[in-house]
Amino acid sequence: MPEPCISDVDFTMFRELFYRKTGIWFEDGKRYFVDRRLSERILASGKGSFRQYYQKLRWSDNGAEWQALINALTVNETYFFREVHQFECLVNSMLEEIAQHKTPGGVIRIWSIPSSSGEEPYSLAIYLLEKWRKLSEFDVEILASDIDTEALERARAGVYSARSVQYLPKEYLLKYFTPLPGDQYQLNEEIRGTVAFSRINLADPQDTGMFQNIDVVFCRNLLIYFDDISRRRAAETLYDALAPGGFICLGHSESMSRISSLFTLRRFPEAIVYQKPIRRAP
Amino acid sequence: MALRKATTIPLQSGAADESSALESLVRQLSGPDVEERRHAARNLANRPDAAAVLVSRLAQETEPDVREAIATSLSAIGGREAVEGLIPYLSSDDAALRNTAIEILQHLPADVASHVDGLLANPDPDLRIFAVNIIEALSHPRLETWLSDILRNDPHVNVVGAALNLLSEIATAAVLPAVEQARQRFAGEPYIDFACRAVEKRARES
Repeated sequence: MPEPCISDVDFTMFRELFYRKTGIWFEDGKRYFVDRRLSERILASGKGSFRQYYQKLRWSDNGAEWQALINALTVNETYFFREVHQFECLVNSMLEEIAQHKTPGGVIRIWSIPSSSGEEPYSLAIYLLEKWRKLSEFDVEILASDIDTEALERARAGVYSARSVQYLPKEYLLKYFTPLPGDQYQLNEEIRGTVAFSRINLADPQDTGMFQNIDVVFCRNLLIYFDDISRRRAAETLYDALAPGGFICLGHSESMSRISSLFTLRRFPEAIVYQKPIRRAP
Repeated sequence: MALRKATTIPLQSGAADESSALESLVRQLSGPDVEERRHAARNLANRPDAAAVLVSRLAQETEPDVREAIATSLSAIGGREAVEGLIPYLSSDDAALRNTAIEILQHLPADVASHVDGLLANPDPDLRIFAVNIIEALSHPRLETWLSDILRNDPHVNVVGAALNLLSEIATAAVLPAVEQARQRFAGEPYIDFACRAVEKRARES
């Protein structure tokens, strides 16, 4: 089948639709990248033209193609220390504020959702051990949740490929991992034992109602897959899970401002994050 | 002090069960505390029998966060009661309420479809434009028919413009005769001619 032709008008229509769905906006400079990936999806979906494919996206309730398209147009690979600037923001800015409202010895809770195969919550654990000088003054709990039980099993096992750990500083790799045959690395039990994994469906109030008094949520690159209503309900769920003054970190292309007005945008030197106001007017 | 594994999920005692009764939630929905009202609105999302009370409360609520939670719950509940309660808000002087109603109705295609003919026949052109805004989000087999009817019959240039704008995204060759009629009916309107050409271009590509 010949490669589909994507005109200037097609590109404009597509990026507006994609923005409405995901909040991700492609500048003109991304045209080549978008055309390539979009053409691949058009062919893979069995549609012969952009037009037919667009109609499918626009009107179809089938979320599978949207998911495949989002996967194709975003970097959905997870690895250790991904978007590390948010971890820097965590220790330099967010936790400093949170610590001000805690008594010495108090508990600080960080929730990673979706935790996938564990790279994010374990990165948090390593980063805190290495970088947060006040760690000894508090008890920090890292909660990690995902809807996928197989991913949770992989996370608990803590075995990772060389690709997954490629951005970890070498000294951390030596310190916290044991090399395995086949160019794999297993995270030491000491670190694995610090993260509490659980199966959670963010869309199910029965699951999420239990999570309360969380100080920081990492919810990166999940909400882009939801429809408008599910996204807003998820934002409300995360809001209710947070303690007053708690923070939420989204993926770099995501914006809470277009999902919900509940949060306050905070610009820290390292990252933009969203905060649950400490006190709301009655 | 250090990293420690959470032994229990940090449950806020009693929070999950306390507010499950409809009566209690409805009372909280109009109470003085903003957070309580927002929580009540959220928890009513699973109560189809709360549609009428949520619709009614939507018009009285002044706090944006609570209004947003009510809108989210109504979008989740849907149904005839919600749709019929929301349609009168399309004529409201309160722009925020109007827009919220449009937004909710856009999420309820199955329930809204039977009301579209009535909305498109409303004497108020603004309301007919809102109807076009609503059907924009509907995946409905009659979509092109509704829009073609507007092009043939609607007397107001802005309603026809709104319909052409939507058709420029989705038109097929079936709408071309109606597009020509719109062009002739509004021959002195450069914008209509421009929009007609955009729709024709899109339709010929289909």
